[in-house]
Amino acid sequence: MTKIASLHAHASYDVGHAHPVLRAHRISKEYVNGTFTALDDVSFELKENQITAFVGPSGCGKTTMLRIIAGLEHPTRGRLEVSGKPVVGPGPDRGMIFQAYTSFPWLTVLENVEYGMKIIGIPAAERRERAMSFLKLVHLQKFVDSYPRSLSGGMKQRVALARTLAQNPNVLLMDEPFGALDAQVRWEMQELMIELIEREKKTVVAITHDIAEAIYLADRIIFFSRQPGRIKADINLDFKNGKRYPLKEELIKLPGYVDLEYRLFAMMREEIRDASSGE
Amino acid sequence: MRKMTEERPASVGSIVQTPAAAPLFIPPKRRFLELREQPSPNRSLLLGALGVICFFAVWELGHYLTDASSRRFVPSVENVAAALYRLFAEQDFLTDVLVSCRRIFISFLAASAIALPIGILMGCFGNMRALLNPTLSGCRYLPAASFIPLLLVWFGPTDTAKIALLFLGVIFFLISLILDNTNAVQKELVEASLTMGASRRKVLTGVVVPAAMPAIVDSMRNMIAVAWTYLVIAEIVGAQDGIGAVMMRAGRFLSVDVIMASILTIGLLGVITDLLFRAASRLLFPWNIERRS
Ligand SMILES: Nc1ncnc2c1ncn2[C@@H]1O[C@H](COP(=O)(O)OP(=O)(O)O)[C@@H](O)[C@H]1O
Ligand SMILES: [Mg+2]
Repeated sequence: MTKIASLHAHASYDVGHAHPVLRAHRISKEYVNGTFTALDDVSFELKENQITAFVGPSGCGKTTMLRIIAGLEHPTRGRLEVSGKPVVGPGPDRGMIFQAYTSFPWLTVLENVEYGMKIIGIPAAERRERAMSFLKLVHLQKFVDSYPRSLSGGMKQRVALARTLAQNPNVLLMDEPFGALDAQVRWEMQELMIELIEREKKTVVAITHDIAEAIYLADRIIFFSRQPGRIKADINLDFKNGKRYPLKEELIKLPGYVDLEYRLFAMMREEIRDASSGE
Repeated sequence: MRKMTEERPASVGSIVQTPAAAPLFIPPKRRFLELREQPSPNRSLLLGALGVICFFAVWELGHYLTDASSRRFVPSVENVAAALYRLFAEQDFLTDVLVSCRRIFISFLAASAIALPIGILMGCFGNMRALLNPTLSGCRYLPAASFIPLLLVWFGPTDTAKIALLFLGVIFFLISLILDNTNAVQKELVEASLTMGASRRKVLTGVVVPAAMPAIVDSMRNMIAVAWTYLVIAEIVGAQDGIGAVMMRAGRFLSVDVIMASILTIGLLGVITDLLFRAASRLLFPWNIERRS
């Protein structure tokens, strides 16, 4: 944990020139021939280097929205642009990390990280070097020749992280990436995440249903309500004063932390209550 | 916790008393039928051997319990072993065995060469599945043996007829299994490679195929076992050579010992093929080997 303590001097990040990295304009998604609306008229813009958390009760359309950004699904209505260009399908400019482990079991850790770079045509020598440096960043340099099967869940997610970041995507998408990990590993991964994003200067969208995780990681929280999925609140985490705090305990000490946490819990409570009284 | 240790006298007089080690925990006895118990490799081998010995013991018992007048129709283990020796030493049984092996090998190779692309394509693309699956899975219900007259008309009592029958007995099931194996590839692996920018072809060859391959080889292992079970039926078609032909001839002379020796040979060849497939799988997919914990 010493390496994180060394980041102690709070790194500040600069968000927001005029050009949004990603623009979602009036996105709707209907399923089952239009009888079920998963997302209803959702609009937002992501600024460069901003970490956004999608928070909300389960079934509110967070995954659907993320998959639409990734190009794995298409919206029924609306328009989606990344760096000014409309999204028509998946592409390496939008890296995605899934909750399920997606390391390819037939490739070693090193080959896994190289795979993404190979796809986008990075020459072999550079590929190797870049893969090694990213594996060092996620503390897997000792496991380069292991197969994913022999790795723990946290290690597998770190392989996925290295593989995705090595492609240098404009936007990093994560769907509850630490959802399957136990509490301590989750905590370590969150700190690693902050460190990596800080270093790689990425625009990030992370889904989580863990409110504390959202507050720790995000610069901005978009809270979804469900049925239909809409943006209930779009909150800038101003109490962080435009900085990121690698140490959780320092973040908690800040004035405004508890208020925000209270507000998010209250919104979550409201959603759950509405859902149980509605049926 | 802390309080308890303070209260206990640490020493008596000046002699420091080291507390005696806690009594050994004696675990309950492991029963033979212990739930979910995984026997050690040595024990597995021993138990397996015991099973084989029991099999031969029951057989031998059957021989001696049979009425002396009809005992020649239930030969003993020694009788069959002797017949097996005679077959190889005097009747050039090895040639027949090799002929049968060759038929299995060729028919299975042909079936695999066709089933692999079709099964993988159907497992990957829903439209291909919708187009082909009703027909091909329907074909599984056509009994292979019923093709014998047809194959005789088409090919006569040739090698081709026999190989074609083995082929027909296996192909449709193999396609079906490979379809399932391909279809079962974790969706997220495909999506992950799509989000990394992989083309459709790259996803197919670089992700779906390697991900499905261990399961496919397993399916092939199971289907080649089925091919062995079709062997005798195939070699009835104009019996000239092969293990099945030897059996048919022996049947005419009521040489039960030869029949049983042949059956045993087929069983043994089946077991060997199985082991070869398992070894190949371990060699081809070292990444798939279960870690021993
Ligand atoms: N392929 C689909 N077909 C029909 N309904 C779907 C499909 N995918 C998601 N849904 C529905 O859309 C809603 C939103 O799902 P999802 O985006 O996964 O929610 P979240 O990730 O916020 O839990 C859910 O009610 C879900 O059942
Ligand atoms: Mg979800």
